[in-house]
Amino acid sequence: MNKAISRIFVVGVVLFVALVVNLTWIMVVRAAWFEDRPENKRSIAKELKIKRGELLGFDGSIIAGSLRRSGYYYRDYPQGTLAPQLLGYDSVRYGRSGIEQQLNEALTGKATDLGVQSWIDRLLGRKPKGADVRLTLVPAVQKTAQQQLAGLKGAIVVLDPKTGALVASASAPSYEPTSLEEDWARLRADAAAPLLDRPTQGLYAPGSAFKVVTAAAGLDYRKVTPTTEFVDTGTYVVFGGKVTNYGGAVFGPNDFTTALTFSINTTFAKLGNMLASKRLVASMQRSGFYQTPPLPLPRGEVVPSGRYGKKGLLPPDAFMDPLAVAWAACGQEKVLATPLQMALVTAAVANGGRVMKPYYVQQVTSAAGDVVQKARPEQWLVAMKPATATALNTMMQRVVNAGTGASAALEGIQVAGKTGTAERGDGTNLAWFVAFAPAADPKVAVVVVIEDTQSTGGEVAAPMAAKVLKSALAQPALP
Amino acid sequence: MSRRNVELLFLVIAGAVSTMAYVSVYAGRFREINRLSIIYGLVFVGIFFVLHLLVRFVLPQADPFLLPITALLAAVGLTEIFRIRPSLALVQGQWLLVGAGLFALTVVLVRDHMRLDRYRYIMGAIGLGLLIATIVVGTTVNGSKLWIHAFGFSIQPSEFAKLAIVIFLAGYLNDKKVLLSVPTRHVLGVPLPATKYFGPLIVMWFLSLAMLVFMKDFGMALLFMSIFVALMYIATARIIYVVIGGGLFAAAAAIAVAIVPHVQDRFSVWLDPWPHAATTGYQLLQSLFTIADGGVAGAGFGRGFLLYANRQPVVPDLQTDFIFAAIANEMGLLGAAGVILVYLLFMWRGFRIAVFAPDGFSKLLAAGLAFAFGLQTFIILGGVTRLIPLTGITLPFVSYGGSSITANLMLVALLLMVSQRTNVMREGSDLERRRLAERG
Repeated sequence: MNKAISRIFVVGVVLFVALVVNLTWIMVVRAAWFEDRPENKRSIAKELKIKRGELLGFDGSIIAGSLRRSGYYYRDYPQGTLAPQLLGYDSVRYGRSGIEQQLNEALTGKATDLGVQSWIDRLLGRKPKGADVRLTLVPAVQKTAQQQLAGLKGAIVVLDPKTGALVASASAPSYEPTSLEEDWARLRADAAAPLLDRPTQGLYAPGSAFKVVTAAAGLDYRKVTPTTEFVDTGTYVVFGGKVTNYGGAVFGPNDFTTALTFSINTTFAKLGNMLASKRLVASMQRSGFYQTPPLPLPRGEVVPSGRYGKKGLLPPDAFMDPLAVAWAACGQEKVLATPLQMALVTAAVANGGRVMKPYYVQQVTSAAGDVVQKARPEQWLVAMKPATATALNTMMQRVVNAGTGASAALEGIQVAGKTGTAERGDGTNLAWFVAFAPAADPKVAVVVVIEDTQSTGGEVAAPMAAKVLKSALAQPALP
Repeated sequence: MSRRNVELLFLVIAGAVSTMAYVSVYAGRFREINRLSIIYGLVFVGIFFVLHLLVRFVLPQADPFLLPITALLAAVGLTEIFRIRPSLALVQGQWLLVGAGLFALTVVLVRDHMRLDRYRYIMGAIGLGLLIATIVVGTTVNGSKLWIHAFGFSIQPSEFAKLAIVIFLAGYLNDKKVLLSVPTRHVLGVPLPATKYFGPLIVMWFLSLAMLVFMKDFGMALLFMSIFVALMYIATARIIYVVIGGGLFAAAAAIAVAIVPHVQDRFSVWLDPWPHAATTGYQLLQSLFTIADGGVAGAGFGRGFLLYANRQPVVPDLQTDFIFAAIANEMGLLGAAGVILVYLLFMWRGFRIAVFAPDGFSKLLAAGLAFAFGLQTFIILGGVTRLIPLTGITLPFVSYGGSSITANLMLVALLLMVSQRTNVMREGSDLERRRLAERG
């Protein structure tokens, strides 16, 4: 009997040794691997114990605060929910997105460039403290933009054309980040996509707003001048198809400035074929199309604009027949653009043709109070020649003063802009207005896009752009 | 030093270690040490001191290490439960008190385990009855039917059935060991005993199959079948029973995996948990993440990340089946391996008692109890670390749960009785021996 008992004990010892070996494997050899698995949300949850850095507005007011409740920190939004899709969420269950994800290292005090105090804390094993981030978003302008979109679907982007700073970024419909976990299933199922950040990820047919790009190409390649004469008969027949004007209008003889003022499709279609696809696409690329705008956000949260096929973005050299070129020149066909991309184009006109790198971080201040990062505006692209920008600026002023963008006019401030109305074919329109002001020394560029509307860009989007411009220009300081 | 003084010394050491752990958790949680915390600690020390005194008077020659090991494990368990949910620790403390009472009752009433041999069939009937009752009137919790709700309590009868069945098997197999070990015929060149002695094996097989299918619990079935096979092997020294028993259990497990969805889920999660990360594999993966996070030294008692901000534990059932994940997280690899070593130490003492025991019944009883204890520990620890498929079974003395702690305290009482008899028979005076022999 004793022999059998000993043998069974030996089996028991072997099993227990297996337990310890397996435990060593999990806790030492594979520990880092387990920690990095996306299914492992422990690190996010643990960070709730760190005082997460605050996200401040450009004016220094708190947009996303850090509130302590029984040992854990929670996001708190004292001004209400501002730009939730851009700011993103920080959820134990659903991970992080947007700026919360992009700046997580700084906000949790783990970034390596947070100054001496942070190093000392880490060496002593103290709990890190999050750095505060002052954004370029101006809460007052952001609120105005969000008010415009209340009850609608669409997006508004406001940029400082001279620096590339993001002044406001609104996306509707929206959501409440404080109740994200309870609302998650509903938000995900909602066909209106409230979690989507439309300014950076919404791909829309730009419609006539795209004529700014076509015009820049025409002027740059010297195919037209603001006074080049065209004749509109209401229809431009090309390659077995035709291009018509919005609402079937016929304009007769018009010069190029008039063509932009009244958004004459046939003239721009003709210009498109005068340029041909190669030059049109080259000009698009110079304004940022076919590339992901360098707004620092997590992978996939900024999408490139350009011509899209069934499988996504088409290569710049994809074949276009003359009819395709004609419609593409009017912002239709397969051309899709994000509101951010259209804002970059508009800002380029306002900034003498130069496209600045878009950014949203004004300043990062470590928990010890050291400024560890400051915004340094940088040029990204040159979209057009300075002379072209100057000419387009003048032409776009005419759009507001005497054309389709009349409802964007502001008292005492010269606004320059361009309307866009893309017909969806289901009776609804996509209404655009791109603008900047003051025209002589542009301080703000704005893009408004409204989905599912019966109205035109001039009717619905232009007045909103005016209100946002007015609010922005009334601010004591802009980034 | 006498056995009882050794026991007292180790109890003091276990008490000191426990106090440090407890104070660490308490201070971490409340940032102060008040009178209430000291009272809790004193009650715990008091319980084991009383048990020590009882053993000193009734079983003076019993093994001196089992009680300190029990105290240490119970303290680790109570501390972690307190850490995870303080209100449950109070309940668990009351269960410890009940368990101590049953321990005392067992020691005083039974006094010598040889008496139990006379009631072996009653014990067998009780064990079987408890399991059948669970199948008939049990409630399903987390997919397994292991609980009976009665008189406002939830009882896990399998924990007590385990003891009764070991007592029955020890008596029965001790009686039949000769018959079972003599081959009467050869099948395919394998010597086999008479068919009628295979009866119990077949009954046991059906019982474990029934547990798999009706209780939907892989762990308990494995435990009972293994206890039986191990005791058959010890009684007969014939490896053929292990082979046949193992084969039969594998067949039963295969049937269960095929027809019981809950067992099937557990099995597929064990093979590959990642596709089920949000559903059936969530618990196991959270357990692995929590364990992996412990590192070599651990976060320290009360300092690990075990509770979400809403006070929900990071692993569902953290205070019961998954308490080892909490221990690994806070005590690190060193502490977790230490706890495993303490269990091994317990098992070693049990098997040692069996080896030195003077008679077959005592040997089978002690070995059966030690094996049941060790295997149960292995099944749950292997489950939460994905060494074997996960199954809902408690970690003896540590997991939250009244049935587990009371049944296992009774198990300790039985082992102490066997060791008392063993030591008296080996070293005691003639008078003592005669007294024992009369009683047996």
